[in-house]
Amino acid sequence: MKNREEITLFEMEILELLKNVMDPEIEINIVDLGLIYEITYDGDKNINIEMTFSTPACPLGDTIVTNIKETIKQKYADFITNIEIVFDPPWSTDLVSEEGKKILGM
Amino acid sequence: MSVLNSNNAPDASVVKPHFVFGSIALLVLSAMIILADSNLLEAYFNTKILAITHMAVLGWATMIVFGALYQLIPVVFETSLYSEKLAKLTFWIFGFSILFLTYAFWVGSFSGLLIYASLLTFSALFLFVINVILSYRNSKKKNISSKFIITAIIWLAATEFVGTLIALNFKYIFLTETHLFYLKIHATIGLIGWFLLLIIGVGSTLIPMFLVSHQLNEKKLKIAYILINVGLLGLSLNWFLVNYTVIAPLFWLAIAVGVLFFFSFVFEAYNKRIRKKLDIGMKHTLISMLSVFLPIVISLIVMMGFGMEEKFLIRVTTLYGFTVIFGFITTLILGQTYKTLPFVIWLDKYKGLVGKTKTPMPRELYSENIAKGQFYLYLLFIVCMILGFIFNNIVMIRIGSYTLLIVAILYNINVFKIVFHTVKIIKNEE
Repeated sequence: MKNREEITLFEMEILELLKNVMDPEIEINIVDLGLIYEITYDGDKNINIEMTFSTPACPLGDTIVTNIKETIKQKYADFITNIEIVFDPPWSTDLVSEEGKKILGM
Repeated sequence: MSVLNSNNAPDASVVKPHFVFGSIALLVLSAMIILADSNLLEAYFNTKILAITHMAVLGWATMIVFGALYQLIPVVFETSLYSEKLAKLTFWIFGFSILFLTYAFWVGSFSGLLIYASLLTFSALFLFVINVILSYRNSKKKNISSKFIITAIIWLAATEFVGTLIALNFKYIFLTETHLFYLKIHATIGLIGWFLLLIIGVGSTLIPMFLVSHQLNEKKLKIAYILINVGLLGLSLNWFLVNYTVIAPLFWLAIAVGVLFFFSFVFEAYNKRIRKKLDIGMKHTLISMLSVFLPIVISLIVMMGFGMEEKFLIRVTTLYGFTVIFGFITTLILGQTYKTLPFVIWLDKYKGLVGKTKTPMPRELYSENIAKGQFYLYLLFIVCMILGFIFNNIVMIRIGSYTLLIVAILYNINVFKIVFHTVKIIKNEE
């Protein structure tokens, strides 16, 4: 079991890793788009991600979820990734990072 | 985890044939326009214009719309399509009936082939309507977009019903008014009831999604829904029951104001978009939205007459149909093909590979340069044809016709490039 500091560092590493997952329509990674609400790591083998989509009817929803799981699996093969999709609070443009705003030309 | 909509998406084999057929139909359509260019400046109730119109609205536009709708129903209705097998069967009957119907018009076989062709078309459209209505029944989400779509489907059934009556009347004369009278109703409910309502229904979901716009005023769509339907219903009942020419402009006005409310919704989405740069698909879409003003102005001219000579008004009436079919509908379809088809194919080919390896983006499945060339040439085609109709100039019509042929070739190259895309794996960078 890891200590609090190690857990936080690992959660940040996962967040960084998820910058490789792109929204294929908007062509920006899901972290800078502001889709990831929370990442929690239990210090053992479980990673829990709370996230949203830019629209509830997102036709690429499960593709993005698969992409996240596979991306983590590539680096941490024996870890379990649990993803919860929430729409409260709904996604808004305020959640886009400064880097994301640059990419989108906002 | 919530139920995700892409799980409901139909197999790509349901959608792909519609795009292939539709794009070839555009090619055939452009050839038909070249062959019959001089007929375009004559009275609109002639065999060649009828054949061209049906190839345009059924073979090209409706065929692609069917394919796109099968993909979009899970997104808008949040349910899967009622039957994929029925959709495939409908495709074959519909495809054959379009060729049959267009040929019947082209050769002018009104009391012979046309009857069988129109009955076959009616059967295909009936199967489509049933499939969508049963899907809607299972829908968890009955919002304003889905109401637009389902109402459009009902108007499609009405359009086809009137069309079949006209066809049958060529042999078994039973209608009390002239064919032109029913043709006016058939065209109006087809273009406004079917295409316009459908475009608003699908557009009100897709345009904000592609522009990434949020917190839009949906009340505008509700007002548009009421105004357009009341206007269209009023027009149809007026034609069938009393035929008062005085009140018809009021119904047209209701429709025009309804369209303006939709336009205002799109404009709001455009202003609130977070994705500032417009791709080629959205450029087409916004030009299509702007061109909606053309038929509104032209219908006003036709209605009021303004003391213009009859020959000019006949050409302007054809121009009205042209601006709806080519200015509004075709521009939108040309653009939205680049937004929907690459996704259908991308999901089909790369869904199982995401995360495991680097994959191309859907945009990379077609040539952007070809799409850009197609876009600017299409604008040239529209301008040439409008000038040709206004000034009765066959040279402009010819330049426009050949330009459309080049557009159709470019569009076909890209569609086939997308449909026959083979999986490309980009090696992960270390």
